[in-house]
Amino acid sequence: MDNYTKFKLALGVVATIGLYTVLYRENRFYRFVEHVFLGLASGWALVTLWTETLKEKWWDRMVGVASANGDPGIPGYWAFILLLPIGLMGYFVFSRKHNWLSRIPIGIILGLWSGQQIQVWFNRYGPQMRDSMKPIFPTTTDSIFVPMPPVAPDGASPDQLANVAAETARISANVYPTEALTNLVYVFTLLAVLSYFLFSFEIKGKFLRGMTTSGRWLLMIGFGAIFGSTVMMRFTLLIDRMYFIWIEFLKQGILGG
Amino acid sequence: MSQLFLQAQPQLNFWNGLNGTTGLWIKILIGLALGVGLIFALMSAPTQTRRPIVAFVTFISGLFYVLYFFFPRPIDRQPGELPLDFVESVSFYIDDAFGVVTDFTAILSGLLLGLGIYSLLHVHVKRIIKAHQNWFFSVVLLVSMFMMTIVGYWDWITRRGEAGASLDDPANWSAINYTKDLMFDGLLQAMDAAMFSIIAFYILSAAYRAFRVRSVEATILLATALIVILSLMGAVEFLWNGMIDGMTGKDPGSVVNNLKLTEISKWLRDTVQGAAIRGIDFGVGIGALAMGLRLWLSLERGTGGGN
Amino acid sequence: MSLGEKLMSIPKWVLYLILIVVASVPLFIKIPVPNTPLEPAIDLYGTLMNIPEGSTVLIASDWTKSTRGESNGHFDALMKILMRKKIKACIYSSGDPQAPQVARDAIGVLNMERKAKGLPPYQRWNDWITVGYFPNAEACANAIANNVRVAFGGKTDYTPEGTSRDVFQSPVLKDIRKVSDFKLMMVITASKTSNITIERVYGKGVDLAMMVTGVMGPESLPYYSSGQLKGLAVGLKGVYDLEQMLESGITPGMSAKWGTVPGFPGDSNIGNGTRYYPTLHFCLTLLILAVIVGNVGMALSRKKAA
Repeated sequence: MDNYTKFKLALGVVATIGLYTVLYRENRFYRFVEHVFLGLASGWALVTLWTETLKEKWWDRMVGVASANGDPGIPGYWAFILLLPIGLMGYFVFSRKHNWLSRIPIGIILGLWSGQQIQVWFNRYGPQMRDSMKPIFPTTTDSIFVPMPPVAPDGASPDQLANVAAETARISANVYPTEALTNLVYVFTLLAVLSYFLFSFEIKGKFLRGMTTSGRWLLMIGFGAIFGSTVMMRFTLLIDRMYFIWIEFLKQGILGG
Repeated sequence: MSQLFLQAQPQLNFWNGLNGTTGLWIKILIGLALGVGLIFALMSAPTQTRRPIVAFVTFISGLFYVLYFFFPRPIDRQPGELPLDFVESVSFYIDDAFGVVTDFTAILSGLLLGLGIYSLLHVHVKRIIKAHQNWFFSVVLLVSMFMMTIVGYWDWITRRGEAGASLDDPANWSAINYTKDLMFDGLLQAMDAAMFSIIAFYILSAAYRAFRVRSVEATILLATALIVILSLMGAVEFLWNGMIDGMTGKDPGSVVNNLKLTEISKWLRDTVQGAAIRGIDFGVGIGALAMGLRLWLSLERGTGGGN
Repeated sequence: MSLGEKLMSIPKWVLYLILIVVASVPLFIKIPVPNTPLEPAIDLYGTLMNIPEGSTVLIASDWTKSTRGESNGHFDALMKILMRKKIKACIYSSGDPQAPQVARDAIGVLNMERKAKGLPPYQRWNDWITVGYFPNAEACANAIANNVRVAFGGKTDYTPEGTSRDVFQSPVLKDIRKVSDFKLMMVITASKTSNITIERVYGKGVDLAMMVTGVMGPESLPYYSSGQLKGLAVGLKGVYDLEQMLESGITPGMSAKWGTVPGFPGDSNIGNGTRYYPTLHFCLTLLILAVIVGNVGMALSRKKAA
């Protein structure tokens, strides 16, 4: 490993350990590293503001791009300059008399966001609403549990394969009692959780109160799942940092292992 | 006006001009003058028109996407195809405008970033000037910020054009490329990852101190979290399922197979967790839709004009 | 101090130190861990393996080194499949400006592995291109769903000769007119760009699949259940599932839907999943023990108080 890479890794390790010192207690080294981090992040935001956003999305479209390497050029559209004064209206927030002007660019951003919500809502939730409508009554009582689909033996004839396919299709088409029960639990969970969020009117009556209480309990199951997954992610990130320090830096970098 | 957004098939017209031509620059300057004139005109708008102006701008912005969603869209539109009637010309117009309008949010948000940077500078420069306690750290922050900005732009300039491809290989780097790599990859990315990972410690500490079986809800949450965590551990799953296999003699048709950890966690995940999270999602979605409609129609308090 | 009170009073720094030891020591030991891949990951692998050779896949690579532990493993597993099956990839990012460079670096590492084994590299421009970063995820997803040629219009990438050309001149994108021309759209993310993509791109004729971090896992599962996603890999478990299937494929009994799907046995399939998964076991065990100790301490204290 070359010296530059070792130095870079060392810098990263020092910064990582510096941030980890806050776990013991707040200290000046941590505050130093923290402020370096904030400064670098702000500086990087300033760099990407032009290089990744404004230059391509606004400037190049306004002034155009000359042809190069056989690609045709793109003409510039002068009307894009109007976005500059509109954007700069946001800075009138510092003016006592004219700070209402700052609401115009914000209004455009909010308007563009809110206009999308109708399409977004249907795209996101339409298939989920359809999927939530599950059959809760069994269509057959041949078996309480879902039978295992048959498996065609090796070298099966076309007739045997057709029979296996037909039987598999028959099993899939039916709703068995255990499936119906599972679906009922699903639908009940969904409705109970939704009922928990009914804040528009007072929850009266034993039935509704029971639903909201069940909803709260079932919500806890959802939160338990979210907690478990989050824990996995956070520990993985920590393991990755330990790998960075012990294996990449110490073992491979310094000890050359 | 229909040629305003024809960026996919650019033709030279009133709305555009070739790169670097005087004609285009004159149009840009006139446009800028118009924009500045608009600001002055708005500054002298009567107080009672302020709210309606903001509401109108918000409504028009949102109307574009609503029209895009509801208005008949062109079917199998070919390059160079002309609209047959008024309805089709409107749908072509919306289609062409889409690629342009979608970027307005990014451009306007970018122009507004200066507000955050100003705020940061204001706070920290004030601390330095007034020699507050720990003003040294404000110096550190500002120096880091300016250094990253300068080095970042310098590095970007070196990567423009044909030289950019060769700089993918570190062997071709100059001092500025190394400096940017050190500051960004060596420091910023490492610290970003470290910040994310610190939460693992807090989770462990919180689990030890606060995760108590004190109520029905807490017990349910704890039990579910435990099952999910155990199902994430392949070794535990293997041992548990092995125990069940021992009881059933590896008979695939046995009902007891449903007690395997994989089956329990699958049922819990698909039936209860999925439904609960979907319920939360629906609730959030309905709220977002309602909020979206209220913002679009300026029904939210605080939107609109007026000081 | 009673036993219960002692159990509830372990200092924070002791817990943190134990966690650091538990998260570090197993990294030095190779521990094989048995595993049963989850159904969403199996579907993801099967979907990828069914993509015909020479097709193009659109990848939203929205991860950076801050979630390297999980996302790098996801990306590597995906690229290994695409490289081995000679499927082309168009990569874009809308989550973070540095994401395109991180993706390029990850492909560079995989290409070095291929070079070491005497295999041809996965070549930029001919096999894969990157169309760069798009600052607004909503706008980008909208543009892709509406018209890919406009969404990526004006973007350039480097040819093997080092010249910068329009991306639609590349063999990767020359036949792409609309998003449904891609055989699959894959989102690798640690943020809400997964939801944003589904909201805007679903229903436009392209199959969607995702590789998300653990935090986004539970809220992405409903999309998989409703059929909006063809496959889903969640967190480090998802990475390990994919690495296992890269080695041994989908075997009979794993999935009634896929039957048998081959893997790439003996190839370099080890990645972050294999490295970190055993250590994760120890960390999760520590968490469970911490909860148990805390509750036992509380119970003993209450008993004493009573």
